[in-house]
Amino acid sequence: MSSSLESLVTSLVPRARQDVNLKKELVSHCQDILTSHIGQSVDNDIGYLADVVKRTLLQSTPDGATALCFTNLLSRLLDQPILSRKHASLQFLHSLSLSPRVSSVSPSFLPSLAPPPPLSRPSTATLTPIDPSPPARLPKGKSKAELLREYRNKIGQPHLPEYLILRDTLYLLQGISGKYVHFSASTDPNGNNELVFTDDPSYVISRPTKALVHRLAEVGHLYMRVDAFVREREGKVGVGMIEQSLCHHLQTRLTEYYRLIAVLESQMVSHVSGDDPPGQDDASIPEETGLTLKRLDVWIEDWKLRMRMMSVCVEGAKGAHGGALVNLIHGYADNGDPFIRKFTDQLLEEVSKPFFATLHKWLFSGELVDPFSEFFVAVDPELAHLQYGQPSQDGVGSSGGDGGFGGLGEGEDISGEREGGLKLWESKYQFQKDMLPAFVGEIFGRKIFSTGKSLNFIRYTCHDSDWVATQEKLSNSSGTLQYSDIAGLEHSIDTAYQIASQRLFEVFFEKYRLLDHLLALKHYLLLGYGDFVDQLMETLSPSLSKPANALYRHNLTATLESAIRSSNAQNDSPDVLRRLDARMLEYSHGEIGWDVFTLEYKVDSPIDTVLDPDAMVKYLKLFNHMWKIKRIESTLTKGWMRIAGGARTFLQVPELDFDWHQIRLVMAEMIHFIRQMEAYCQLEVIECSWKILLEFVQRREGDLDALMEAHGAYLERMVKKVLLLSPKAGREENLLNQVRDVFAIILQFREATDDFYNYCLSEAARRDSERDAARGVVTSIPSSASNRRDPEAVDDILTRVREYSTSFSERAQTIVQALSSHADLDCRFLAIRLSFSDFYKTRKESQKS
Amino acid sequence: MSSRESDRITAAQQTLDVLYDISQLLNTGLDKETLATCVGMIESGVNPEALAAVIQELRRESQAMSGRPTTNGR
Repeated sequence: MSSSLESLVTSLVPRARQDVNLKKELVSHCQDILTSHIGQSVDNDIGYLADVVKRTLLQSTPDGATALCFTNLLSRLLDQPILSRKHASLQFLHSLSLSPRVSSVSPSFLPSLAPPPPLSRPSTATLTPIDPSPPARLPKGKSKAELLREYRNKIGQPHLPEYLILRDTLYLLQGISGKYVHFSASTDPNGNNELVFTDDPSYVISRPTKALVHRLAEVGHLYMRVDAFVREREGKVGVGMIEQSLCHHLQTRLTEYYRLIAVLESQMVSHVSGDDPPGQDDASIPEETGLTLKRLDVWIEDWKLRMRMMSVCVEGAKGAHGGALVNLIHGYADNGDPFIRKFTDQLLEEVSKPFFATLHKWLFSGELVDPFSEFFVAVDPELAHLQYGQPSQDGVGSSGGDGGFGGLGEGEDISGEREGGLKLWESKYQFQKDMLPAFVGEIFGRKIFSTGKSLNFIRYTCHDSDWVATQEKLSNSSGTLQYSDIAGLEHSIDTAYQIASQRLFEVFFEKYRLLDHLLALKHYLLLGYGDFVDQLMETLSPSLSKPANALYRHNLTATLESAIRSSNAQNDSPDVLRRLDARMLEYSHGEIGWDVFTLEYKVDSPIDTVLDPDAMVKYLKLFNHMWKIKRIESTLTKGWMRIAGGARTFLQVPELDFDWHQIRLVMAEMIHFIRQMEAYCQLEVIECSWKILLEFVQRREGDLDALMEAHGAYLERMVKKVLLLSPKAGREENLLNQVRDVFAIILQFREATDDFYNYCLSEAARRDSERDAARGVVTSIPSSASNRRDPEAVDDILTRVREYSTSFSERAQTIVQALSSHADLDCRFLAIRLSFSDFYKTRKESQKS
Repeated sequence: MSSRESDRITAAQQTLDVLYDISQLLNTGLDKETLATCVGMIESGVNPEALAAVIQELRRESQAMSGRPTTNGR
């Protein structure tokens, strides 16, 4: 034991070989140490020890080669049978390897990885205090990297130390040019910057580093774009709210980005300051403690994606506006990558807030608050200042029903005012499909659009009470609208839509009695009230035969008044009756009253939204046709009565009986024709269409647009069928013209028969008086010249009668033929009715044969 | 050095070689001879950490002495 100690002492302290005293002293000192309590508590786990050693080795040489070597050696050692205390030997070596380094290793960044503090040793055990000056670094083999670096230094092309590039890269991330790497404005038309490495002959930047810097600089480049966008929008006026919120969101994101940069920079700063000034060997400092380019790359990776998304949004924001911008962002929301999806969702949530604010206003108040026109509902700037007119209570007769335009309308011409309701409804607000966010969907978009429009309409057309009631209902259903709650949004839209359209229906049908007006139109303009029409026809026909310029409106209105009084129409509500008016259309020279007379039904706002001027024109057209039919019918009826009655009693001219018979035949044919025509119009067309309309009204579905559409379809159907319009382009009115010709022929025929009647009457009277004279009774003394029978005159009349009857017959045949091949089924049925039991067909065949 | 090793010289030699390699790896700075002595002491029951302390102490002493070679004060 002591001999071993002695040999130790002599080998380690060469001077002790000569100096015996010193040797003794040292040996005893060493024995003191050995008998002291150092390292009493040592566990015997060699595995743990090996671990500790390995970690220590890894720390000094991170490549792990020495650790591997150590593992090898250890296993060989364990194979050796000779040592009984292998762990103790290892412990010894380990303790020895640790101790000289303790003072030389600078405090490191990662305390957890720092070597465990040296085991405490009692201060009493040491003779002299441990010299704090570190022993010279133990020589060790140079690594290949060191060799390479030395070589490079030797040939004068050392690599730029990484931390310098790192600092520049951090600048680049903020869009600032660094010392060694900088952005340069390039000739690229897109304004993209180029990354340029400063040429410095004293340093070389290796290619992998350059590539890494390039990758990192992408973030900086994107940052510059986003930042420039945000800054540009900040300074601008008239930037849309959606864009503003986008900017805000981007700014928040950028602030987060700044925070990250700041953290990274703080790490780098401490790293650099520890080793300033840079020496040639600073690359050898343990790098696991600080920031490296590669680590930076990892840190930045997330942000690279984020920046890319932001930059894409920014690019899109340049071209898109408002809802389209939201749409654009939403396009990225459907992504399988949860990162992108989350980012987009957040962005959308933020960006769509102004949109939803506008939507809320529009959906629940019917007001468009959209100062930057970003909503998918756009207001026509020319109509924006107009409101739907208030219905004027004094109504018809004053300057139209559109008094609600309040002063503005005074200067405008009457026709412009007349179009008010519909024009406002149709064109005040426009639906803009490209501005509609995709997450809403077009069906819902339409619903939103219609709801807002309806509310707007109710609000400005109806009285306050309506509005209050509607709003009360709506307020129950209105929740907060936001992007993340699409289902709730759709529910809210549905509810609001239903309430609004329901309300609108109520307003129209209960408050404004739309149904009453429609009924009135049907009764008066479509001649639904037979007694009224008969009355009117009877009282008017004498004056209507006069030239149009001899008619006076006050006469017409007076007649109308009396017709109403003397018929059932008097029971209609005064509100309906006061709207009824008789007037003349624009007439040209030579027209008679029949051509220009028309009934008119006046509607005012807001009913004129449904019964718009175009519709009224159609009604007038229908009335015109029906009125003509009615006139022909009544003419024929009267003629028939005269003939049928007169022939039996006083028209005793036996040689003309056959002619009368012929006339009666033709007339019966005509009556059949006109009656069938009339029945078809009234029963097949008008009543059927009315039924369809009524069903729609009772269903109470849809909005005002649907109502208008239903009414339009109703009217269109009637016009098409009553006027027998054919779908062939350019020949729509062929049949109508033929029918009108027939009407004209019938009238002429009637005139001719009237002449014939008169002739017969005078002839009969003449014969009567002749017979009286023969019996010796002198009833009258007519001038013989005037009463003389004139065979030429009667021939002439009869020729006319025959001519008309044949031409009627021909025309009727053509009409029936045309009708039977008509595209419309109802019209074909009319053909069957007209040619009942194939009357015209057989006649045609008999003509042929 | 140690008489106990004489009979199993080859095995001991190998063990010593391995230990020396480890020692080199760990940068202990011990030469083969000293290492053998130390291992022998450890095998005979000396506390390894205390021994490490001794080695350090001796090194320090030697250094201190070579720092002032003429004085020879002790």
